[in-house]
Amino acid sequence: MEKIFFINGQDYKVTDYSLKNGVVSFTYNGKKYEYQNLGFRDGLLIEGNNHRFSAHIGSVKDGEQVVMAHGLEARMSSGKKIKKQSISGSLNSPMPGKIFKVVKNVGDEVKKGDTILILEAMKMEHSIRADKDGVVKKIHFQVGELVQGGAVLASVE
Amino acid sequence: MKIKKILVANRGEIALRVLKTAKEMGIKVVSIYAEDDKTLPHAMLADESYSLGSGPLSETYLNQQKIVDIAKKSGADAIHPGYGFLSENANFANLVESSGIIFIGPTAESITLMGDKSGSKKALEHLSIPMIPGYHGDNQDEEFLANEARKIGFPVLIKASAGGGGKGMRIVHKEEELLEAIRGAKSEGLNSFSNDRVLVEKYIVNPRHIEVQLMSDTHGNHLHFWERECSIQRRYQKIVEETPAPNMSQELREKICQTAVQISSGINYRGAGTVEFILTPNNEFYFLEMNTRLQVEHPVTEMVTGYDLVRFQIMVAAGEKLPVKQSDIKQKGHAIECRIYAEDPDQNFMPSIGKIEKIGSPTLRDTRLDCGFNDGAEVGVNYDPMLAKLIVWGEDRKTSTQKTIQSLDEVLFLGVKTNRDYLKRILAHPAYVEGKTHTHFIPQYEADLKPKSFTDENIADLIAAFSLQGISRPTATGVAVERSTPWTTLTGFRN
Repeated sequence: MEKIFFINGQDYKVTDYSLKNGVVSFTYNGKKYEYQNLGFRDGLLIEGNNHRFSAHIGSVKDGEQVVMAHGLEARMSSGKKIKKQSISGSLNSPMPGKIFKVVKNVGDEVKKGDTILILEAMKMEHSIRADKDGVVKKIHFQVGELVQGGAVLASVE
Repeated sequence: MKIKKILVANRGEIALRVLKTAKEMGIKVVSIYAEDDKTLPHAMLADESYSLGSGPLSETYLNQQKIVDIAKKSGADAIHPGYGFLSENANFANLVESSGIIFIGPTAESITLMGDKSGSKKALEHLSIPMIPGYHGDNQDEEFLANEARKIGFPVLIKASAGGGGKGMRIVHKEEELLEAIRGAKSEGLNSFSNDRVLVEKYIVNPRHIEVQLMSDTHGNHLHFWERECSIQRRYQKIVEETPAPNMSQELREKICQTAVQISSGINYRGAGTVEFILTPNNEFYFLEMNTRLQVEHPVTEMVTGYDLVRFQIMVAAGEKLPVKQSDIKQKGHAIECRIYAEDPDQNFMPSIGKIEKIGSPTLRDTRLDCGFNDGAEVGVNYDPMLAKLIVWGEDRKTSTQKTIQSLDEVLFLGVKTNRDYLKRILAHPAYVEGKTHTHFIPQYEADLKPKSFTDENIADLIAAFSLQGISRPTATGVAVERSTPWTTLTGFRN
């Protein structure tokens, strides 16, 4: 069976993939691998590929899971790729926070890179900048308002 | 006066840090917590704990009157402010002492004196402490300041007098940027610290940040506990600290430490303090500022000198003499502290949030994790994104570096994006290994510090781990059993 894995957004194809009786085997880049989980109580204890290592896996977040294994750390998913939507001109909040300052007004002409508003989160200020030249069409929040991560803060057309 | 009960006016790892020493000394501890912190260790491990309610910081950890009222109600005879929050607030120190409670820290006068960057430099003039060429005066006219900057010569630094943490700071490389930078620093100072006063200084290219740990009692003893090297910074905040400073002659080390003691004795300081210096590539050093509190990075000093600085703070506050002499205080081996932050170094250090599914703990000898969280805790946007400090001691710098890299793999903070892997990349970098640290280390080596690409073997291991989650070993009958992952049930408490 052929299977696609996404590691930090990059796709990797394996063939001859099989997962049964606690054993996973597959071929990647021309080499055959086989591993099993030894059922380590606190996380996974995996044996295969000529070594044994513990691994920890986070819960699903935005369609991905964090995998930590012998010093490696990666975001992973399998099957279909997780797309992060990003629409040009619509400025999203990178994280939950509070509107600290609104710099531009609706109707203002802005150049790419101009600060439109400032978000305060985790004791730091983050400038939300125009991602293209245009006119501020809408500012969705006022100073002091709390916003969720990903919320559309302003739009430029 | 004997201290029998301490209220810790802080949260997280530093609240626990103070709590531990107090317990070792047989002193009762009162903790306080905002409602959104009520399941964190600091809210659970004290002898008594009181809610500050909810709301903005001004209503909780910064609510001076509320904190003093709790201290009185609980019968605490002293307050330890930790770092941050009210630790360098002279009004608070005054309020505490005028309420008949001991403030475990310096006098309000010392806090005020050192809190204002221009004021402190003026006050130290008569002690002949080396200062960076600059203007720290009262004339705040933009054109006048610009002229002072031109006299010093570019590059210059414009800095809000009351500033800190990089706020209200501008580096100016050429004439055209000058006036805008002065205005920018002034307005940021006004917005962040209600003070638009700025100072102008010579900007030193690739300096090192060296600081000296001080401790003074009220019997005229002004001791130093040697230096710390804290050059590795991002967003003007330290992320890796160590002691002893690498590539420093013993002669220079002693000169810097002596200069720091000149300051603490010169202003008749009390308690724990830190003098920060800038060290140029030519080994000239200049006074930067004095922090009138226990520093985040104090544990490296504790690891290398073997003394408990919080214990000394408490003893000094109780009016006791420091039990050590300067000649007793020696540096043994090497210690490194890494600050683990909830942030994504590969996305311009953007803070991250989430639920900590599993913290993990370092297992090697002489390692210490100062952490204020427990498994299952939520990291939100209301507080500083520092999750923990990993402190590692080794016989020498090479050993402590290797042990730190190893230990970083054991503190997972699964569930929240952290700078853990990035810290490993810093410690493995050849310039770090050679001890060639300076405050622009991170921008200078930006390209080298990017994530390493995975080998085919790495990819295979990751795919295996991902595939085998929730599937345990084949049973005797040869059939694997599905099991619930431990993360769903891991809400156990640790500190």
